[in-house]
This record gives sequence, C-alpha cells and structure tokens, in this order.
Amino acid sequence: MKKITKIVGVILLFAAITSPSIAQAQLLKGGYFNVDWQFNIPIGNDYANRGSGWGMNFEGGYYIIPQMSLGLYVSYHTNNKYIGEQVLHLSSTESLYADQQHSIYQVPFGMAARWRFIEYGMFEPYIAVKLGAMYARMESETQVYTYYDKSWGFNVQPELGMTFYPMPSKRIGMHLAIYYNYSTNKSKVLTYNIDGYNNIGFHLGLSF
Amino acid sequence: MKKVIPILLLAATFAACQKEPDLNELSSELIVYTNYDKSANFGKYTTYAIPDSILLLDDKAKPSYFAADDPRTTAIIQAINSEMKTRGYVRTNNAEADLGLQVSYVKDTNTIISYASTNPYWWYGYDYYWPGSYWNPYWGGWGPSYAYPITYTYTIGSLIVEIVALEDANATTKKIPVLWTAYMAGIQSSNQFNINKTVSGIYQAFEQSPYILSSVER
Repeated sequence: MKKITKIVGVILLFAAITSPSIAQAQLLKGGYFNVDWQFNIPIGNDYANRGSGWGMNFEGGYYIIPQMSLGLYVSYHTNNKYIGEQVLHLSSTESLYADQQHSIYQVPFGMAARWRFIEYGMFEPYIAVKLGAMYARMESETQVYTYYDKSWGFNVQPELGMTFYPMPSKRIGMHLAIYYNYSTNKSKVLTYNIDGYNNIGFHLGLSF
Repeated sequence: MKKVIPILLLAATFAACQKEPDLNELSSELIVYTNYDKSANFGKYTTYAIPDSILLLDDKAKPSYFAADDPRTTAIIQAINSEMKTRGYVRTNNAEADLGLQVSYVKDTNTIISYASTNPYWWYGYDYYWPGSYWNPYWGGWGPSYAYPITYTYTIGSLIVEIVALEDANATTKKIPVLWTAYMAGIQSSNQFNINKTVSGIYQAFEQSPYILSSVER
C-alpha cells in the first residue's frame, strides 16, 4: 500500500511540475495522450501470478467524431514470483533441483479505439478496445542459469476508464482505467507452459 | 520545446523496461542436474571403484587433481561412498569393479565451453577427460559413450560425477557406457570452494536418482 501511495505521489508531483508548461493547450488538439503507471495481475497460470506495479502504459488517440477516437497504445509490465527449491523432471530421465525466480515481461502494443460518454466535461468516462500484438519473455532465473522463452502473439484488451479534468478547458487530467488483457502467446520454460496470457489490472496516470 | 519535455520523460521511463527479479532472494544451495541411461539396469551391478582424487577441468595442457589428502577430496569421496553403500554397492578396486565413479571439478571453462556450444559430446576433444586407460591399462584409446546428450554449459565452480559401466565396456567399439551424470553448479562462494554446499549437492543428486540401487537393496 505504501508503494502505491508513493507512486500516486510521484504522478501528482509530475503533474504539478509539468502543468504550467503544458496546461496552455493539450498535446494533440482534438485528441489525448495518456501516461500511466500500471498495476497488473497475470491470471489463468501460476507461473508468476503475483500482482505488481512494475509497468507503464502509453496511449494516444484522435477523436474522429466527438465521441470516438482512434489511436495507438504500448505498455510494458513485469511480474515476478519466487519458487522455492524443488526437483523438476525435465524429461523421463532428467531431473533438476533448484529454486527459481520466475518472471514474465509483457509488451502489448497496437491500435486503440475509444468511445467516451461525455465530451469535454470534468469527468469523461469511456470504454475502449485495443487490438495488436504482444511480445512476451517468460523467464526462470536460478543461481547460475537463466532459462527463457521469447514469444509473439495477438493481443486484445478491453478497457473501462475515466478521465478527470479539474479544469475542463485546460485538458490536463487524471486518468484511471481497469482492463483485461489477453494474448495468444505460447511459452515454455523448463517444465512450465503458458498457452495464452491473461491479465487484469488498472492504469493510473495523466492525460494531456 | 516545452511540449517535448514530457515526451522525453516518457521515453526515459519506457527505457527502464523489465524489472529484474531479486536474485538475492535465491538460496545459496547448489543447482543439481541429473540424467541417466534409461536402458541401464543398475540392479545387476554390485561393486564399484572410485579414484582417491578429483580431476580438475581447466585449460592447462596436462591434467591436475585435488589430491587424496585434500579436505575437498575427502569430503566429496566420503559423501559418494556413503550413498553408494546405502544403495547396496561395495567398493573395490578397478580390476574387480562393475561400476566406476569419475569425479571432476570444473576449474576453468575456457576449453569446455567451446566444445559444449558446438557439440554436446565435448569430451571427445578434451584430451585427458577420464581416459579408458585410467580404469584398465589395456584400454588405451577407449572413451566414454553416452546414451543421452549433455547440452549444459559447464560453468566454473561445478562438480561432475559420472557412473560408468566398467563391466559393459565394449572391446569392439572401445567404448565405456556412461550410465549416470550428475552436475552440480554454484559451488563457489566469493571464489571460495564451499565443501558443505558440495556435499549437500551430492546427497541431493543421489536423492533425485532413486533408480541407482543394487539388487541387494531391492
């Protein structure tokens, strides 16, 4: 909880520092640009399913009609999990005894479509769908060796969020969104398999 | 220009990328890998021989050893003897033994890695890796044969223990079958050889290899 408080503090500080310089106008007229801290929990596998805040999300879009925007997104995230000593049966004759640090690093990116329910208000709730590709690195660190598998897959990410503009005319605001993220990547490390990456999480950041 | 500042900040943030896991959280125990010949019948053997010294694998032209009176050798050989005895095998001399145990410590990997990266059977190019003549003076030019590939890169500070079937050495092919390989990595702590960790690793190697069992104990 302390960590989250610190991160929120940093975001607010960043807002305070940058506001005077960019509050004159939004970065992209008729659009938006989000910079978010991200909290992510992998679900559907127990390889590295500990939630973490080691990630960021970047997204920009342009409103082609007042309610709907099209844009681009990219985010990255790491989830780690310690696994105590155990014997892994790598094959019918091979055994490996080690403790491990599991790690999943995910970088989804692609196109984002957003529909906002209120235009130019103090609160702008929206729904969004993101479609694209994802790079993933599944990793197991032991004392001596690092085992890893890199993979690519298709990515889809529905999102429900809201931007809060304290002064709607300035178009700099706070952004909060929850998301579900699915990718088709398949990875295998040692005796562990992941067939499809599923995540839930939230974004918290700034919108320009 | 002012608009560029936040974009530069973003780029710097993105460069941070992957958060490495905390490796300090890992225990200091050895990584222990074992593999064996699935067709081997460990039950048919009753005796074994083990040298009283440990071969050092390094980049020197001539073989060197941990001597018999070296405390590292004593501890390692004692641990192996203890496990072999528990599994029903009796220690004897080279001439009478069914099995041979060869113990090697990787002191320097300069030579070995170059073979391991291109050919899993790196010992064919490694001149003094447990020659057949060690086990029998008439086995000059004989070498080990493996029923499984060794694809691990052996790192500095690791111990390799192998069980070879002296009884099944083939005079036609001049090959001595290797039945079991145990590889233990992470022995060195701050460049010091850690005897306790090594002994624990040997016990673990046998523990995860319950198939090493003489018919006496079955």
